Amino acid sequence: MNVEFINPFIIATVNALTTMAFIAPKRGQPQVRKDEPPNGADISAVIGLTGETNGWVAICLQKSVALNIAGNMLGIQKTYIDADVRDAVGEIVNMIAGGAKAELAKKGYSFKIAIPTVVVGDNHQLGQNKNSVYLVIPFETEHGAFYVNVCLESDVKHGLRG
Amino acid sequence: MKGKILVVDDSSTIRRIVKNILENLGYKDVIEACDGLDALAKLKQDQVSLVMTDWNMPEMDGLSLVKAIRSSATLSKIPIVMVTTEAAKAEVVEALKEGVNDYIVKPFTPETVKGKIDKFLV
Repeated sequence: MNVEFINPFIIATVNALTTMAFIAPKRGQPQVRKDEPPNGADISAVIGLTGETNGWVAICLQKSVALNIAGNMLGIQKTYIDADVRDAVGEIVNMIAGGAKAELAKKGYSFKIAIPTVVVGDNHQLGQNKNSVYLVIPFETEHGAFYVNVCLESDVKHGLRG
Repeated sequence: MKGKILVVDDSSTIRRIVKNILENLGYKDVIEACDGLDALAKLKQDQVSLVMTDWNMPEMDGLSLVKAIRSSATLSKIPIVMVTTEAAKAEVVEALKEGVNDYIVKPFTPETVKGKIDKFLV
């Protein structure tokens, strides 16, 4: 896992939530993991990243956080995870991927972004390939915690195109 | 204010956010489409003054929609603003080359939207 990948995803996450949901998340200490993710989530959105640099990024949220994000984006209170909340969370991970993509492109890393998939289920964990190394970036908001998980590998050496 | 605006995005959240922003800016005549194919069908039925479209959508993506609009005898002059997460320079250049008039990167503010669309709606 290339350390250059960390900051673009942090910046993109904060930017997406601050701008669209008026939430300023506090970042915790990123961890590189190879095993089960640290905590379960109630709703996750995953987006594939393909190309010379490839992998995925996921946002994994407690229900309270997801409801707050979706409610703020739409200007209405949300009390349960419905189609609106699922769509909103999917769009947030889309923006995280897009923001990181733009920053990583400046360093010579390129990938295409797929369409997000949203998973809903109390305290679920996203399964990982046991050989995958991935980054877990924890965040806190006043409504609870969420994680941005990133698994990204690149055929590009030293961040420069050949 | 004058002009019908077509908002194209597979995300209902984004369509609603954009529509709310447009209505708050005084643009009350806003219609929606969920992808490029849906947008083309709407464009056949309604006279539209501006298209605001996402890029990554199922069925027909935004760039394909732009190409279809620009190659149409009846639609080619409609201003198009892309509203997308695709912010890398290569993508912006590609979109402008295909005929997009302006570009809004997600996430966006109402001020950004106003700055990008007002000039097309007089």
